[in-house]
Amino acid sequence: MTAVADRAVVLDGATVPSREVVGNKGRSIAWMLSLGLPVPPALCLPIEECRRFHAGGGELDDEVWSSVLAGVAGLEQKLDREFGGGERPLLVSVRSGAAVSMPGMMDTVLNLGITDTVEAALARLSGDADFARQTHCRFVHQFGATVLGADLDEPAADATPAAVREAVRRDSGEEVPTDPQEQLRAVIKTVFGSWSSRRAKAYRRHWGIPEDGGTAVIIQAMVFGNLGRDSGTGVLFSRNPLSGEPEPYGEWLPGGQGEDVVSGTHDPLPLAALEASLPAAHERLIAAATLLEREHGDVQDVEFTVEHGQLYLLQTRAAKRSPLAAVRAAVDLAAEGAIDRAEALDRVTPEQLASVLAPRLEAEVAAAAEVLARGTAACPGVASGVAVGDSEAACEAGGDVVLARPTTSPEDVSGMIAARAVVTERGGSTSHAAVVTRALGRPSVVGVGEGESAALLGQELTVDGSEGVVYRGALPTAAVDPASVPGLSRLLEWARELSPVEVAAATSPVDLLRLAQGKSIPQGSEQEEEIS
Amino acid sequence: MSSATDTELLALHGLAVKKAGSPAAVAAVIGAEEAEVEAALEAAVAAGRAAGAKGTFMVAPVGREWLDAQYPQAFAGFRADPAATEAYERFERINRALLALFTDWQMVPTAGGERVPNDHGDSEYDADIVDRLGAQHEKAEKVLDSFAALEPRLGLYKQRLDSAYDRALAGEHEWVSGARIDSYHTVWFELHEDLLRMLGREREEAP
Repeated sequence: MTAVADRAVVLDGATVPSREVVGNKGRSIAWMLSLGLPVPPALCLPIEECRRFHAGGGELDDEVWSSVLAGVAGLEQKLDREFGGGERPLLVSVRSGAAVSMPGMMDTVLNLGITDTVEAALARLSGDADFARQTHCRFVHQFGATVLGADLDEPAADATPAAVREAVRRDSGEEVPTDPQEQLRAVIKTVFGSWSSRRAKAYRRHWGIPEDGGTAVIIQAMVFGNLGRDSGTGVLFSRNPLSGEPEPYGEWLPGGQGEDVVSGTHDPLPLAALEASLPAAHERLIAAATLLEREHGDVQDVEFTVEHGQLYLLQTRAAKRSPLAAVRAAVDLAAEGAIDRAEALDRVTPEQLASVLAPRLEAEVAAAAEVLARGTAACPGVASGVAVGDSEAACEAGGDVVLARPTTSPEDVSGMIAARAVVTERGGSTSHAAVVTRALGRPSVVGVGEGESAALLGQELTVDGSEGVVYRGALPTAAVDPASVPGLSRLLEWARELSPVEVAAATSPVDLLRLAQGKSIPQGSEQEEEIS
Repeated sequence: MSSATDTELLALHGLAVKKAGSPAAVAAVIGAEEAEVEAALEAAVAAGRAAGAKGTFMVAPVGREWLDAQYPQAFAGFRADPAATEAYERFERINRALLALFTDWQMVPTAGGERVPNDHGDSEYDADIVDRLGAQHEKAEKVLDSFAALEPRLGLYKQRLDSAYDRALAGEHEWVSGARIDSYHTVWFELHEDLLRMLGREREEAP
């Protein structure tokens, strides 16, 4: 780490400062750089500066500000770009970064440094005027929402920066600055100020986190994936997050900018496309993911961008994975010696194991059954019953019923509790019905189509909330054979070995895992899995 | 509308929003004295508009029709007020964001678009969603202030939402979207129903 005029810290990986000094994100950037990994250059205002900011009445003093400017000049030099102008403009992201992440902190402002002139330069550089305009809109929108607190709709794809500016002005009564330095100064003040936001304070009070901490500010150069055919963006998993197979898995979007992959507006290509077009970047990426997985001892999810053939890692974190992948990856990592067996057991939650072993419709049974309706799978699981149309009927029937309705309102909650499964005509995976059925652990299929629920009434049917299908009749479900799930037999073997108490032969696999993890077996563990 | 009908209408409306409940629960929705609500609900039972047993009441089918017939007149001023329409549009925006975050809270996205139930093993993931809830909660408070300026009892939802948010912030998971308690989603769902009934609108479900 190098000090700039003593007050800002350049994160160059020469040393790795502690999280108490530069916060979690700052430490992570420095740590990746210290491993020799390619990360866009960044600087940091340490947590100490947040305390000074508040002691100084919520102002940045001249000295810290000149340290910021010197630091930004360093980023310009490193990348041969210019902040706020020039033919090769530099845009930066600004984030908060406390030692412990907490709600209420200002999160991120991206694309800072953009102006009308910079937008024009960006359009020339990328050959894509729409991208430049949208980047400008996104910045104005984000600044308006996070710094000025404006309540805005997402800008439309054809919005203009002037229109978004006007929307911010209308809602907040304030202006988004057009001077990049002024933008930067305002965002830094917002990050520091957010330490004292009502939400952050309430959170600290609940969790007994001292008030005299603070947050760091991370200012990082942005890189572009849309500068032609040798650029792009993507995400890489160090192992397959669906199956757990020990093969890298990822998506590559040539010519795409960060948000494009996440927002799903463009269809990405498989990783093999990156290997074919930019083999050097691909090779470096795989090596980086392998290294990060080894260092963390866990499957990594790496966001990356390639700018003119040069690979940059934007973020790495423990990968979200399917229950199947959780079992397989834990066992494989232990077999490879990356973690020990006890750690492998801790990597699989009882809920994940229960999901892997949940009884399901066998493919042959489903294929032979008559499909009555299809919709969005809203809550996983399979259940059967006679379809009823309202809560009264569901509550009175007492037996196995399925609640089938056009839509649900609060008065249907009692019926959803009484039913085994729920089907609705309208709405998708974020409808009230979807939220409530998940909270109750009731398999559900939503959005089967206008008028469809009436046709189901009185019939016996089976709802597959994992696949989004409603079948005629009560179909049988089948238990899962542990031997058919890669890694599962070994995991259960280790659980038996490491369990601190003698385990009865009849103990269920899920309870066996709980015992091995030193947890107790909950009363009535047969109950539905409620997702709250 | 006479004041007696007024209380009965509101009590029955509050009951319809909750579907079934005690006079105390209805009183909490409409901001009236419990005894007054109880008397109004007893009167509704006598008129065949509600059914009650062991201190729990339900709206009867006749009561439902009666309510639907009363609404246009009872809330004529509210329905005609552009401030109410404008606030409802803001409410809808928050509603979309909240339902998306409840979904993220319950089901964690994994690669390939598949979602798995949240086992709350990733505290950073959870903290991020509680943060989003807090941001929407602050917007919701502003919208409820606008509604309360037109219809003071709607301000009561603020306290109920605030107490659910506070418990979620303290790490009590079920207070985000639990279905059997006054979680944030439960209260929000009731508020949504309350507004739809007052404004005479159909429920539009998010895609």
